[in-house]
Amino acid sequence: MNTLTFDRPSEQAVNSTVDALKRSYGDRAITTHAIREQHSHGEGMQDAGMPDVVVFPETNEEVASVVKLCNQARIPVIAFGTGTSLEGHLKALYGGVCIDMSRMTKVLETNTEDLDCRVQAGVTREQLNADIRHTGLFFPIDPGANASIGGMSATRASGTNAVRYGTMRENILGLTVVTPDGRIIRTGTRARKSSAGYDLTRLYIGSEGTLGIITEIQLKLYGVPERISAAVCQFDELPNAVNTVITAMQMGIPMARIELLDSVQMDACIKYSKLEGFAAKPTLFMEFHGTDVYVAEQIEQMKSITADYGGSDYRFADKQEERTKLWKARHDAYWAGMSYTPGKQAFATDSCVPISRLAECIAAAKVEVDNSGLVCMIVGHVGDGNFHVQITFDPNDKDERARADKVAERIAHIAIKMGGTCTGEHGIGIHKLDALKVEHGEAVDVMRTIKKALDPNNIMNPGKTIPMQ
Amino acid sequence: MIEAWQSQIKAAAAKGDKLAIVGSSASALPAVSTIDTRQHSGIVEYEPNELVIVVRCGTPLATVEKTMADAGQMLAFEPPYFGAESTIGGVVATGLSGPRRPYAGSVRDFVLGTKIIDGKGDHLSFGGKVMKNVAGFDVSRLITGSMGTLGVITEIAFKCLPLPKAQQTRVFDLNAADAIDKMNRWYGQAHPVTATTWVGGRLYVRLAGAAPAVKTAVEKLGGEALENDAAWWADWREQKHAFFAGETPLHRMSCKSTAPPLDDAEQAIDWGGAQRWIRAPLHDGAKARYWAKQFGGFATTQSAGSARQFSTEGLDPALLDVHAKIKASFDPYSVFPGLEKSPLLQAGEG
Repeated sequence: MNTLTFDRPSEQAVNSTVDALKRSYGDRAITTHAIREQHSHGEGMQDAGMPDVVVFPETNEEVASVVKLCNQARIPVIAFGTGTSLEGHLKALYGGVCIDMSRMTKVLETNTEDLDCRVQAGVTREQLNADIRHTGLFFPIDPGANASIGGMSATRASGTNAVRYGTMRENILGLTVVTPDGRIIRTGTRARKSSAGYDLTRLYIGSEGTLGIITEIQLKLYGVPERISAAVCQFDELPNAVNTVITAMQMGIPMARIELLDSVQMDACIKYSKLEGFAAKPTLFMEFHGTDVYVAEQIEQMKSITADYGGSDYRFADKQEERTKLWKARHDAYWAGMSYTPGKQAFATDSCVPISRLAECIAAAKVEVDNSGLVCMIVGHVGDGNFHVQITFDPNDKDERARADKVAERIAHIAIKMGGTCTGEHGIGIHKLDALKVEHGEAVDVMRTIKKALDPNNIMNPGKTIPMQ
Repeated sequence: MIEAWQSQIKAAAAKGDKLAIVGSSASALPAVSTIDTRQHSGIVEYEPNELVIVVRCGTPLATVEKTMADAGQMLAFEPPYFGAESTIGGVVATGLSGPRRPYAGSVRDFVLGTKIIDGKGDHLSFGGKVMKNVAGFDVSRLITGSMGTLGVITEIAFKCLPLPKAQQTRVFDLNAADAIDKMNRWYGQAHPVTATTWVGGRLYVRLAGAAPAVKTAVEKLGGEALENDAAWWADWREQKHAFFAGETPLHRMSCKSTAPPLDDAEQAIDWGGAQRWIRAPLHDGAKARYWAKQFGGFATTQSAGSARQFSTEGLDPALLDVHAKIKASFDPYSVFPGLEKSPLLQAGEG
């Protein structure tokens, strides 16, 4: 039978690997409890599992040498960016070596003419944008957190701009990857057409550290648009807000961002981010990019759609500070939700469905939420058909936790039945392994075969992304 | 049909035979028998308001495009046909995109999901019908452009985009260097440019989108209007333009878009500068490859009438090793041709 296995390595193997790393890396190989704990989990759920040691390499060669050592000793390797993943990607299920990329933060080259750049994996998206601001270019992918580009590549991240600029998948030209046997390979080229052979770049993007460690990334950049205009429109009923989005997408209006917040989420955001002059109602946050004429035209088109669905007048945010405040409020939605329900914990679903099924899917999710009796908030990058239900529960109440899990599972299955996916952007990690099987059936077997072929000792982030059996 | 192909593949695997996958054109690869994808044809699902079309591999590209155009939509990567019978499965297997590629994206950017039969005869489904999906490895993109070496693509789900409401092509008399400069400058700006080609001393810039946006761009960019521009772009895409005629071999180079023009060469430039065509004797192929590598890309030589083949040319041993492992994961009995020629690969498989 085609299965993956991994046993926790012997204490002796772990100790000798840790000793070897300490000899080579000195104070860049750390075994203190505090540092190991910090590297044992992402954001969201507290499902920690500690690595035995955390190493801070500075070059591709150092990453390769750590991996080679681990491969020889059959010790797990888990790459760590900024620790903001949501699906338990970082939990060291079998202990092992955590490779923290935070010392690899060089922007290696910026080619303003070619609209691309090459960065080390530890560069964060905000650092990159600050670094290239003077060039008049920007990098659009913006998951809520200030994640590292390496982590964003490994999880195929997206964000509020994906509806216009795509996800990491569409914005990476090539990668440098350390393979499980400690070799350094380079995929893709500066050319926008991939070179000979298979599209390995796309295989490594989103592989969640299970096939290799991404150490450098060649990224596409974009010119800052001549005009950026953000607007907010509120609705009395959630379906009207959703149908507005569906119509806009079907008409092909090239929105840069279109984000939905339900009334509970909006209430939380108003309180947390001190948004003034808004009601706790279903709301769309929108942004338009282009030339003056083009943006004006997009806004006119959007206004006619929102009017048809009973939307409010628009509140515009054209100045940089106003826009920053608005989008910060959107990015802080998770923390707003946490502050709205003190003492609770929360996790978020991540369904994505074909755009025409979005209204139906959100309505069905809402029924599940209402039946659960739990406080839940809906927020989403609805232009892509992707939305999150943030489900809050009392961590000390087993019944609440069980109901929360049930709601999440049912929403994932509803989406899969509608031809969608259980995860549009957060990934599989350890939490969605069962849902992956429901969604992909036998195809998971081929994914497992690829994993076994490329990582025969199963040392790369074992137990994640691909179900072991 | 699927069951018949599954049996055929299983039988070939048991006997150690090779199977070639063919669509509208004959495969150049050696094989004992073939699977003709045209036997599995038709549109499985198309609701224009879903912005997704699901089609079987043998469906003619022309049928797919006509069906979508009737609903006001298109395959935005503008695939070339290279023959009226071209199938949609062939489009995905070869991974070819047309003039819109740098502005809209390539084939793989529009493939949302695929079904394939692998070398063990299993019929598998990857990806789906949604715009974003991070569930497991991105196998659909790995399959795109794999030239039939990993399996038979049986079904594809594509993302659809609305056809532009207005279109106009502007022509500028420019030398190659100035044309490259303009292509790159306009790429970074918000103009609705959807294709750029420099050939015969003239730069052709296609603008398409909402009418006011096209009108504003025309006023800003200048140039002369091109009559009957749709036909001009179709000719260019299909390599029926006069530049592609003749006996001298054609070298195609993919490079960074700002690479300078080649001196003293009969050349054409498109994809915003990222694709160059050189007409030169065959022995200049090495020169073209060297040049392309210098500018971050690679070159291939297209001789008249030759079919495109899967190539791993220029890949280093570590990359070849990864290729061999992927090939073995999908096609452990080497039923489908490809990737067995390189001695390095055989070493990698061992």
